[in-house]
Amino acid sequence: MMDNIYLPKIGRIAGIEEETQGGRAIKTFKVEFPDGDGFEHACGQCAMLSIFGRGESMISIASSPLVKDYKQFSIMRMGRVTTAFHEARIGDLIGIRGPYGNQFPLDDWKGRDLVFIGGGVGLAPIWPVIQTAVARREEFGKITVFYGARTSRDIMYKADFERLKGSADVQLSVDAPEAGWPAYVGFVPANLMDKAPSPDNAIAVTCGPPIMIKFVIQNLGQLGFADEQIYTTIENKMKCGVGKCGRCNVGKDYVCVKGPVYSWAELKSLPQEY
Amino acid sequence: MEKILAKEKLRDWVASLQGCEVHGPAFADAVWNYAKAEGDIDLRHTNTVGSVKAFAFPQREVFFRFEHKRGERPSLVPTLPEPRPTVVFGVRPCDGRGMPRNDTVFSKEFKDPYYWARRDKLILVGLACIEPHSPNCFCQAAGGSPCSEEGLDILMTDLGDRYHVRGVTAKGIEVMERGRDAFKEASGGDQAAVAKAHEAACKEPQRTFGDLVAIPDAIRRNFEAPLWDEMARHCIGCGICTFLCPTCHCFDINDEVSSPGKGERVRTWDNCQFPDFTLHTSGHNPRDNLGMRLRQRVSHKFLYFVENHQTQQCTGCGRCISECPVGIDIAAVLERVSQS
Repeated sequence: MMDNIYLPKIGRIAGIEEETQGGRAIKTFKVEFPDGDGFEHACGQCAMLSIFGRGESMISIASSPLVKDYKQFSIMRMGRVTTAFHEARIGDLIGIRGPYGNQFPLDDWKGRDLVFIGGGVGLAPIWPVIQTAVARREEFGKITVFYGARTSRDIMYKADFERLKGSADVQLSVDAPEAGWPAYVGFVPANLMDKAPSPDNAIAVTCGPPIMIKFVIQNLGQLGFADEQIYTTIENKMKCGVGKCGRCNVGKDYVCVKGPVYSWAELKSLPQEY
Repeated sequence: MEKILAKEKLRDWVASLQGCEVHGPAFADAVWNYAKAEGDIDLRHTNTVGSVKAFAFPQREVFFRFEHKRGERPSLVPTLPEPRPTVVFGVRPCDGRGMPRNDTVFSKEFKDPYYWARRDKLILVGLACIEPHSPNCFCQAAGGSPCSEEGLDILMTDLGDRYHVRGVTAKGIEVMERGRDAFKEASGGDQAAVAKAHEAACKEPQRTFGDLVAIPDAIRRNFEAPLWDEMARHCIGCGICTFLCPTCHCFDINDEVSSPGKGERVRTWDNCQFPDFTLHTSGHNPRDNLGMRLRQRVSHKFLYFVENHQTQQCTGCGRCISECPVGIDIAAVLERVSQS
């Protein structure tokens, strides 16, 4: 019999971390598979999460594939489903299907410098590749992580960043001046130009709000990064996750299947509908 | 297999299909549409307003029923359809050609079990268009023909007092064999009459829009041109073009709740002409205006589908032209794109 691609597995919320508060609150959920039917995933892939009666949402898997016991998802409170997640408690059972999409070609990047540039909740989709690169630290050159949020209160993964500082050059920023803020003040693309990482033998990976991605890519080009050295992940609206429902397409590609990970060289050849 | 069916024997053939669900065109509320056939089938229809896709891809499909109380394990009951063999009469060749395109969509990468549960039981009995059934048809410009067998299990051709009936697939031949007593052998004269009827049908005037093979390049060339905005300006985003289309397959998935914690996860047709179709939860919308949405509908059918599957995702039925309340005309759009 054919697999029922729309029937979710059962996931159990095993942990909830409050990342940021306020109108754009982010919570990180650890999801286990109580039936023992969990799946392997690759860096960059997504899963369709659901709360029965509220609906489904496609969410990036934010944990490294090296973590086998659970999957982690960082969810900003925005619409009906994400709000339902923010109302969930530890032990709640949810629906989960996936994994969907392609992956960051991390194995092709061995021996190279890695520059990660994240903004807001857009850090979550590239977090697994950061975590995996750090776990396999000796395989890569210099690792730099740029991350910016509106204010210091909007910075996610604060504790993880402290740990990350041992293995990577961490460059944080906030959009506007704040008393006591020790790092850069200004938008992420400007921080990138300020630190000016070298494009030599490097790969840059970025995700954030569309406007940030646009200027980050522009600035990477100015720094001498070739289109093939720049990767991003396109988080279009999705409903099915299996290349049929028709709304996540960018040109001929259904992002849920052919994406979400693209090099800028690939993405440039597609219509700008993301 | 080629046979002749006297018109008054159609009823006998239908009667032989016991155990099957039989549908055919029926005229009600001023339109032709498919309906369950009782006894005879009226094949004097133009084209049905709704396309044949709904037999495999209904407008609303329940994926599963759920019941979930907090702290308890959710119960999920899949509702995979288990239809009887379903024979649909009077399918126009444009709709027939739509089905292999839908089969591709519901197969590639992931097979869709709901679609295939219905599709595997579907037998399409086509009827050649001896004359165009609408002033907006363009099956030949779209690469088909008014007597195309593509996607059909059987093709019938009206020869005045009788039908010529050709079994195209094994499924179709089986359905013909069940009604074998109703048929006569086709003579050489019958075969000549069918060939002549098909030849004449292909000469009937239809809409045209230039060279089909050149369309993908024409769309690429005009991708950023203002013509999309100009031609979409009067669109009211009603979505009738995609709902009636034999190949439009976009859908939404939602939870419909009947009482707290209890409900169904449901697929319903959706539409790329709706402004919220691509709207991100952040408010960002990759296709945030009418021109981009018209360009998407046309490009999906005549560019992206060609790039992915080497064929157009439009079979020229003309429904989206005939039924558009504001007169948006895909053949005119294509003609303008071709010439720009």
